[in-house]
Formats: sequence, structure tokens, C-alpha cells
Amino acid sequence: MEELDTVNLVRVMSDDSIHSSLSSDSCEYYQTEIFDQLPSVQACRLEQNRQSLLEASEANQDGPEPRENISHGHLSRGPKDKASTRPLRNLVMCIQGKRNARDRRKMQISNIGFWDSWRRSQSIYMKRVMAQMGGALKGLLPWQQTLRTINGRFGVGVKAYFVFLRYLVFLNLLHCALISGFILGPTAFYGSSAHLKFGANDSVLDFFLGTGYLDRSPVFFGFYTRGSLNLPCLNTPLLYLAGIFTILFLSLIMVVRRTVVGYKHTWILGKQYSVNVSYKIFCGWDFSIQDRASATLKRSFIRNDLKLFLEEQSFSLREAQRTLPQKVRLYLLRFIFNLIVLSLLGGAFYLIYFATKTSQNMSASEHHWMVSLVLQYLPPITITFVNLFLPHMFRKISSFEDYSFTTQVNATLLRSIFLKLASLGIYLFFVFDQTKNQPCRENIFGREMYKLSNFNFLATLCNAFLFSYPRKLLQEKYPSSLLAHLSGKQHFLIPFNVLDLVYSQTVSWVGVYYCPLLPLIGTVTLMATFYIKKFTVLRCCVAEQRMLRGSSSSVLFHFMLLLGLIMAAVTLGVNFWIPNTNTFSCGPFGNGGSLFNVTGECVARLPSSAQTTLRYLSSEAFALPLILTEVIILTSYVSRGRANQKAIERLKDMLVLSSSDKRFLVKQHATMLRRQKNTGRVRGAAIKEDNPRNNSTVPPSTRTN
Amino acid sequence: MGTTASQLGKDMLSEYQHCVLIHDICFSAHKRFAELLTREEKDLPNIRVSMERILTLPELKSNPFRKRICHVFSTSEQKDGSLTFEDFLDLLSAFSDSATLEIKSHYAFRIFDFDDDGTLDCGDLEKLVNCLTGETDDTRLTTEEMRQLINNVSSLRQSDIDKDGTVNLSEFQHVISRSPDFVR
Repeated sequence: MEELDTVNLVRVMSDDSIHSSLSSDSCEYYQTEIFDQLPSVQACRLEQNRQSLLEASEANQDGPEPRENISHGHLSRGPKDKASTRPLRNLVMCIQGKRNARDRRKMQISNIGFWDSWRRSQSIYMKRVMAQMGGALKGLLPWQQTLRTINGRFGVGVKAYFVFLRYLVFLNLLHCALISGFILGPTAFYGSSAHLKFGANDSVLDFFLGTGYLDRSPVFFGFYTRGSLNLPCLNTPLLYLAGIFTILFLSLIMVVRRTVVGYKHTWILGKQYSVNVSYKIFCGWDFSIQDRASATLKRSFIRNDLKLFLEEQSFSLREAQRTLPQKVRLYLLRFIFNLIVLSLLGGAFYLIYFATKTSQNMSASEHHWMVSLVLQYLPPITITFVNLFLPHMFRKISSFEDYSFTTQVNATLLRSIFLKLASLGIYLFFVFDQTKNQPCRENIFGREMYKLSNFNFLATLCNAFLFSYPRKLLQEKYPSSLLAHLSGKQHFLIPFNVLDLVYSQTVSWVGVYYCPLLPLIGTVTLMATFYIKKFTVLRCCVAEQRMLRGSSSSVLFHFMLLLGLIMAAVTLGVNFWIPNTNTFSCGPFGNGGSLFNVTGECVARLPSSAQTTLRYLSSEAFALPLILTEVIILTSYVSRGRANQKAIERLKDMLVLSSSDKRFLVKQHATMLRRQKNTGRVRGAAIKEDNPRNNSTVPPSTRTN
Repeated sequence: MGTTASQLGKDMLSEYQHCVLIHDICFSAHKRFAELLTREEKDLPNIRVSMERILTLPELKSNPFRKRICHVFSTSEQKDGSLTFEDFLDLLSAFSDSATLEIKSHYAFRIFDFDDDGTLDCGDLEKLVNCLTGETDDTRLTTEEMRQLINNVSSLRQSDIDKDGTVNLSEFQHVISRSPDFVR
């Protein structure tokens, strides 16, 4: 009788402890015998006392009928019953434990029917095949080994940069596929390729300037004239538009997806201040680190990170205690610094304007080819230099502003991304303005984009081999020289490098309409960039003392990419909405055609029902139901989110309850055992009286549920 | 059970695959394990490799938790941290990319639970932080910093849901499951 009660107790506990597998606390509980019988502990300690467990299970098996049921459930509860089709390799057990589990499973399987066992084995087989295919696909991803090396030596942040770079390569490859499907393919089959010859007055210089030979080549918009493929709804202009829109739309979906997935993590991270520091400790060590130097580095990184966290905490404390005059002084200081930043930005924009004007005015006149090359490249050079130096100034400025470190980084990033995109936008505006009345405006525009992306790559190349590498060599050869001392150690500044990537991708998106081969150029240059950056990182840089966390930074990266994409879409929109007044238009919309003409023509040929549908879709009458549907969908999502939040809270409560239950039970059991020991078998009857009361007080959790 | 360490039988291999890992890792694991053995030991079944020899592996050499790792994965009765080939496979599978979050967090918890009492209390956290930052005096956090940090982690904050001042496995998993960096 007494034994049966104990077993009952065990079952109640095992039910509870499925949810909170291991949650008793101070040491006294672990010395009691019942603790070792908890299913969670058994799953956990299986490897340590395998023998004793086997004995226990044998002992359980030759008990009486009802008890066997209980003990069976009790034994196999744990991870196994959650899903008996779960692959063995996902169970938390040592191999011997898995073997036992498999034997148990086999016994179970022999009990079930033929059909069930066949289906189960099929599903296991399918899972295995899928896992193998997944593994094979993962192996196909390029640069895995490089990424691992970089991760080991420079941490997650730098790896996030390279992963981002790889993602951009994939994105550009996808763009290439779309371009060749929608634009290049049809043109190759149906278009005219008459003037694709290297003329007498073409030079190699044209490849840099995008003039002459390249101007007539498929690189630019002007090449894609209306060919022989001239059905009302299947012609070059329409395909061209479809290609460009698909690219932008797909990019939008992909980037938004990545941003949102990352955002979810950061949102959670940012919301709970102290969970953040729990991560830093629990997930701090990178188990892939192999060499001693990087281990020391990682240690110092974690130490700095923790100190940084504590510093920020005390910083926020200090911030709360600031007096009014201090506050006023600080805000004044920040105001002045912001003015400086603004004037710097203004100066930069004027410089770009000046460069664009000079380049446009002077390029017509005759010069030495070198001079004209520099003149032609003047705007990209200016933009690149502005973008190269100003962010570093911003970084210096923000360090004076008495922000916390994270805010400093964010402020710098924000200012830099604004500078980059705005300078590009202003440049675009000037080019737009000045080429308004020139023949084949799109080609000129495309040329500018072509030059921008080329120069961007050249700057990366030069930066690596003419700046970083010599600097490193200098430090290696003459470590004691003054110059080496001055230049200091080189760090891989992730935010600025990512800004470069975002910028070049934005240029590619903006330019893809005018220069459809930009994605191809982008793919090639990005791949080259990968190797250049890899060289820079592994050869020239030392790891940062303070590193960005991979996940939180990647959200920022993708968000900036999203900004770039929006800018590209806006540019394209402006291009379509500005009426094409000049008569020298070229490309798919050669003879007075425009986006609206071409699509209108196509719509007019559609059957009447489709036409009415389209007209309805584009009218205001459709907007109302659309907005309504969106509202409904959004509401449902918001309420689902709230419900989930509530469920999470309730689960947390349950966790608390069940762990307190367990502690209570363990305490009861311990006192029971102690009393039993003290009083011996004589007073056994008293315990029997005690037990019903115990059982009635046992399930506080069931009551509250 | 009975594998001699010099070759890996086909039936054992398939069994290990079911239980642990994908094919090619089994082979390379076995190779790595055999390298740790001397010539005489290779023909013995179920040989144990002592912790000192396991720690010479380059992957573990610079890991601050290397001894804990050996202890956690060891099935030895003397608790000396020695590993059999199967323990070694367990270790590899827990650290492989294909391991699930549950497995990883489970073993991580046990590695961090220095006194093996099934909960992360202040002592465990302090040891853990010292392992992370380095054990020497100048790398260690000051007592004040440590106090502030441990207060942050354990007491009455998010990671300690049931407010008992320590972090248990489910709380640990709860915290870790939100870390995007943990399972990479």
C-alpha cells in the first residue's frame, strides 16, 4: 500500500515534470531518492548510471499489473513519448540510451498493424532522404569553408558581412537569370544585331566610359529596340518591362522577408534587456574556435562585451542622474555637432553637384584621353571619396556626443546611410536634370550607373591593394617605425563595408532599367569583392575588440538594403511619370512609345471580360474592398499575436507552478522518508493517514489550470 | 556493443547512422578516434581514451569548457572523463551542425552546470563567467562587476522565470531558444 502511494506520487510528478524537466533547486532535494526517479533526471543522467537504471526498469517490469502500466509510462515518458517517430538521433541520450529506445520502439512497432508500420517506416525513410538531400544542398553552398575560417578568427559579425555578401551574389545571379530570360533571350532570337561591330573609332577606353562600342552593345537600354517579335501582347518593350518589374518585385519580397525574420529576433532581443546579457553568457562561447590566439581573442571579446554591457547599464543610471545644467550643455553640444554634420552633408552635396556639372560641361571639349577619362569619372570619384571619408568623420563626431556605445554606432550608421543614399539621389537628380533634352537619355543615365558601379569596384580593389596591404606590409617590415605606429592596427569595420555593399546594390537596382547587364557586372564584381575582402580580412586585419553581434547587425544590413531598393523604385517611378518630350528616344520605346502606350495597346487586345476586370482592379472601387481585406487580415494577425503573448505568459506561469509543485512534492517526500526512518515500521500507519492529505494538496497546478 | 577500435563494422556503422549522424561523419569520427589510440589498444573492444588524450584534440585544445565537455559525455563509472568511441560519437553529434536545438541546449546546460546539481546557481554562473573571460586575475571581472552581472542574469529577471534565484534547464532552454546565434 505504502509503495503504491509512492508510485502514485511519482506519476503525478512525472506528468508535471514533462513541462519543466529539471527544476528543483537547493541541494537538499538532490540527496533524496525521489529525485533520481524523476523522468527528466533519468533522461539526463542515463549515461551516468546506466546500470542502475537497467536494474530499476527490470524491477519495475516484474511488478503487479497496474503498477507495470504506471512504471512503463513513467520510464518511457521523457523525450520518447513526445513523438515516437522522431528520429533517434534527435533524442537527448547517449548511444546506449538510444539503443534501448530503438529496441523499445521495435517492440512497439511489432504490436501495431502492417499498414501502420509500413507507413511509419516510409515516413522515416522519407525523412532520411530529405535530410540527406538537405545536407547535399548545404554542401553545394559556396565558400562554406572560408566562412568557417573567418568565423573562427573574426567572430560572428565579420561572418555576417560575408554571408550578406554571398546573399547579394545569389540575388544578382537570380537577376541575371531573369534578365536573360525576359530581355536577352528574346532579343537574341528576334532582335537585330547589325551594329554589333567594333568600329574604327572605338577604343578600349570605351569599356571604361561606356561610350562608343558599349553604347551600341547590349549593355545599355538603347540596344533593345523593337525587333521582329511584335505581337500586341508579346513584344520587346513589354518583355523588357516585365523583366525589370519582376526583378524589383522579387528583390522586394526577398529583402523584406530577410528583414522581417531578423527583425523578429532583434525585437525580442531589444525588448528584454537582461535576456540579452543571459545570451552573452550562455551563448557567448563559440565552440568552433580552434587556435589558441583566437580563443584568447574571444575571451577578451566576451570580457569587453560584458564590461560594455555593465558600462552601458551604469551609463543609463548616470544619464538618469544628470542635472539640468549638464543636460542643457549636453544638448547644446549635440545640437552643434548635428549642425556640423548637416553642413558637412551640405558641402558634400554641393561638391557632387559641382563635379557633375563640370563633368557634363567639360566632356564635350577636346582633351587628352587621360584628362577626359578623369573628367568623365569625376562624379563617381567625388561620390566615392565623399562616402569614404565622411563616415569616418561621423564616427569621430559621434564619439564626442556622449552617447552610449550602441547609440554611437547606430548614429554613425544612420548618418552614413543617409549620406550614401542622398548623395546618390542628388547625383541622379542632377544627371536627370541635365540629360533631359539629350538624345537617348536612358543610355546616358545607364552610362552613369555603369561608371558608378565600375568605380565602386575599382575603389574596393585599390583600397585593398594600394592601402591596406602596403600598410600591413609596412607594419610587418618596420614594426618600430613612426609611420607604422601612427597607422595603427587595421580593423575590419563591418558597418562601413556593409554600407559599401548596400550602396553598390542600390546602384545596380537603380541602373538595371537603363543598363540591363548591371546584374551580371554586379555578380562578377561581388564575387571578386568576396575574394578581395577575404584577402583583406585574413591577411591585413586584426580582429576587433568590440564586435557587432551577428543577428542584430544583419537586420540593419537588410533594412538598409530595403532603403536602397525603395530608392531604386522611386527613381524608376519618376522616370516613367516624367513625360518623354524629346524626339530622340531610343530603345524598346523607340518611336514615341511609353510604358502606358505599350501596356494600353496590350490591354485593348484582351478579351472584354479581362478588360473590365483590369479596369475594375485599377479603379477606386477596388481600393475600398482591398483596404477592408487588409484591415481584416491585419486585425486577425494582431489578435493572434496577442493570443500567443497570453499563451506564453500562461505557459510561464505553468512553469513556475509546476516547478513549485515539484519542490513541494519533493519536500513532502523527503519529510516522509525522514519520518519513516525515524519511526521505523512501527509507525507506518501514521504515514498512511498522512498520504491522502498529501495527495489532496498535491495538484495546485491542476486547480489553477 | 563490441567494436574493436581498429575497424568499424558495417552493421555498427548503420546503427550509428540511425542513432547519431550522417554517414561520412561516422567514418571520419572513427578515424579521429583511432588516431588517439596506441597500436596495442586498437584491437581491444570498447577501449576508453583518457581525458588527457582527448584534450589533445585541436578542437578542444583552446576550449575553456574542455574538461566539462569530457565529463558530461563520459559514461565512465569513475567519473574521470574518459571516453569510449560511442561517447565520442555522442560528443561529435551534439556539436555537429545537424544537432537540434534541444540537444544542443541540453548538453550546453550540463556543461555549464559545474557542480552537476541540475541547476545553474550563483557558483555555476561565476565559474562560467570566469571560464568565458579567462581565469587569471587580470582578465577576471572584478567582484563588483561579477555581482552586478550575476544579479542581471539570475535574480528576479527574465531568465529566471520561477523567481528562485537559480536558472534551471527549462528556463535555460527558454532563454536559449530565442537566441538566433545559438543554432547556426
